[in-house]
Amino acid sequence: MVDENPDVLLKRAVRGDEQAFHALYQRHQPTLYRYALRMTGSPWAAEEVVQEVFLLLIREPQKYQAARGELGAFLFGVARNRVMKHLERTPRELSLDVMNADGSAWREPEDPLTPMMIAEKRERIEQVREAVLGLSAEFREAVVLCELEEMSYEEAAQACGCPVGTIRSRLHRGRALLLARLEMLRDAPRRASAGAK
Amino acid sequence: MMNCEEFELLGLDIDRADADPREAAAAAQHVEGCARCSALLESWREVKGDLQLLREATRFEAAPARVEMRLKQELRTRREARVLPRRTAVIASWALAAAALLAVSVGWVRTHNQSVRPAAVPESANQVAGVTAIDSNADENETLLAADYDGGEFTQLPGSLPSESGENSIFRVRMQRGGLERFGLPVDPERASDWVDVDFLVGEDGHPQAVRLHQDSLVAAVAQ
Repeated sequence: MVDENPDVLLKRAVRGDEQAFHALYQRHQPTLYRYALRMTGSPWAAEEVVQEVFLLLIREPQKYQAARGELGAFLFGVARNRVMKHLERTPRELSLDVMNADGSAWREPEDPLTPMMIAEKRERIEQVREAVLGLSAEFREAVVLCELEEMSYEEAAQACGCPVGTIRSRLHRGRALLLARLEMLRDAPRRASAGAK
Repeated sequence: MMNCEEFELLGLDIDRADADPREAAAAAQHVEGCARCSALLESWREVKGDLQLLREATRFEAAPARVEMRLKQELRTRREARVLPRRTAVIASWALAAAALLAVSVGWVRTHNQSVRPAAVPESANQVAGVTAIDSNADENETLLAADYDGGEFTQLPGSLPSESGENSIFRVRMQRGGLERFGLPVDPERASDWVDVDFLVGEDGHPQAVRLHQDSLVAAVAQ
């Protein structure tokens, strides 16, 4: 079932086949959710984005046209639009507590580290999370796609619907800002400038 | 050879898998001789390590199960909404078909009864006014001309009205069937020369209102 053609799965899902829908959902939702979470910094917003994306797929499946691209790319495009709208209408949300998507407190994965090391690691993660969320949407998106989602420049450009050069330029600027913010957060400037002016 | 400005733009891609090999080589060569760019690369690698930590910490993040439950509920709702009108349409079409069948059956029974049932025969001349309807819709082969109808009942003559007073008289006349044409009754030409006994129902004004072929006329004709 999981290996079935996405278009066939979609047709079955739209007709009400829950198994087909489950297969489609499980295939695409983690990527969409992580992207939305990393862009918005809010589990609730990410949850809403994922829900809206799949609701659109259920209610208006005709909006996806296989001839124009893969289903995953279509879903990502819808998620991206929803994220951008969310960022436009709401001030940046930074949760004070690191939370999991289900609202439970973030828990360090099993790791053979001392409590001190765990605390330090957690602090670093929180700092970099805050620094990424502090970037403007377009720079943040370049960093999220190219550094966190590990997409190639071509893939990121395709996802954002812009040329590769634009992605590289945004990433360059995003990296510079990220460096400056992290140095500021850690209060340990190692160099005067990395292009962040 | 790459300069500092180019390194800031391209050099930080040195560790990327999809980096251009020539750019990466030029960046590596530049960084060996430039302390500032070397520090920049070191800082970036540290940030990249932090990004790696963040990536690992959120690698298995996924939407909570309640999202899928809500979506499946929507799926069910839409499926039921689609099925309901279809079911209603099926029921409606069956109901229509049944109604049509019923109408056809009733129509057939009525038609059949009318063609089989003989017209009511009045008991007396006083009852003749309400009767005497020969079925004009009967099959062509079964059509009975009024002047041929030996059913023993009165046939209202064309243009006459039933008497309201009921004080009528009956006169029996022996005549040829063709003579009934004069009273406006159609007569089968082949039987026009037959002698028949005819009862005329005559009203108070002396005009015949209805006519009846006497039931014994055929017997009488045969006897003659």
